[in-house]
Amino acid sequence: MKFFSRLSLITVLLVASLAVVMAQEMTKDEWQKQMTEYTAKQADLKSKLNTLQGEIDALKKQDADKAAALKKCNDELMALVGADAASDRAFAAQLDQIDAKINELSKLSNQDLWARKSELDDVQKMLDAVKKNKLSALPKYYDRIKEQQNRLDALRKTVDNVQMSMTYTVGTWAKDRDCLWNIAKKPKIYDNAFLWPKIWQGNRDQIKNPDVIKKGQVLKIPAKADLTKEEKAAVRSYWQRKQSAAPAGK
Amino acid sequence: MKKSFVGLVVAGALLASVVAGCSNKPNAEELKKLEDLKAEVASLEKAVSAKESEKAALQKAIADKAGQLTQCEKDKALVQERVKGM
Repeated sequence: MKFFSRLSLITVLLVASLAVVMAQEMTKDEWQKQMTEYTAKQADLKSKLNTLQGEIDALKKQDADKAAALKKCNDELMALVGADAASDRAFAAQLDQIDAKINELSKLSNQDLWARKSELDDVQKMLDAVKKNKLSALPKYYDRIKEQQNRLDALRKTVDNVQMSMTYTVGTWAKDRDCLWNIAKKPKIYDNAFLWPKIWQGNRDQIKNPDVIKKGQVLKIPAKADLTKEEKAAVRSYWQRKQSAAPAGK
Repeated sequence: MKKSFVGLVVAGALLASVVAGCSNKPNAEELKKLEDLKAEVASLEKAVSAKESEKAALQKAIADKAGQLTQCEKDKALVQERVKGM
């Protein structure tokens, strides 16, 4: 009896495990179904790939055409301003130089800027020269040059403002050797002694005789410029007075 | 009783072995064929995806160049005008 019950148990286990194995393994029908499914997918993807390749080839051609058209347009643009790559680079370098100079001047204090105001004229000359170059008409430079001019104008305005508020307090002859001639000669004033009449004429209210200025006098310093007709006339009459006042025979 | 029981068990075992032995299963070669097919499909899917990316990149490059070209034509007209005034 025991033998039979064991045998039946073994048989049941055998059948059950067989059923499990069969359930896990793929049947021929399932294989066929998957083969059909994947073959269709394969065909679909191959067709898609071919279509995409065709589209990509067409797009590559379009891209090459656009690149050629763009190069042609850029060449025509450069031809309009009569420039080539080398002159374009040289022009850009000139603009860099102007930028560097403006940056340098922008960092100065107002007083130092005023002392170096002649450099603004130098930069203006450089800027005027680049404006005459046809390359300045190119959009990539046009706005940049405009911006440089604006910055230079702003610096000039600063100098003018400094100029308007520029004064000089007279020191002593013994220590500072201050006279109108020497004051005008100072680098931070006019750096030009011959402009002394400007200080005189700009301070007529407190300087009656240009040979006499007093310690502690606060003189207005007019903007640096060539002498005006009036200032020249004042100088002439000053020398005439001096000559007539000189002792006879001298 | 015993005999019939033994007969039942033997018949069951025979049936099970017949079912297992004669079931319609793909052979190793067929299974490999399916695996290869699946691998090829996966590879094709990757290739399609790469091509789609390439297509999108080209479309973007063309659109960029078209924009640059339009700008260049505008610039040309502007420069022509400015150069005339110089």
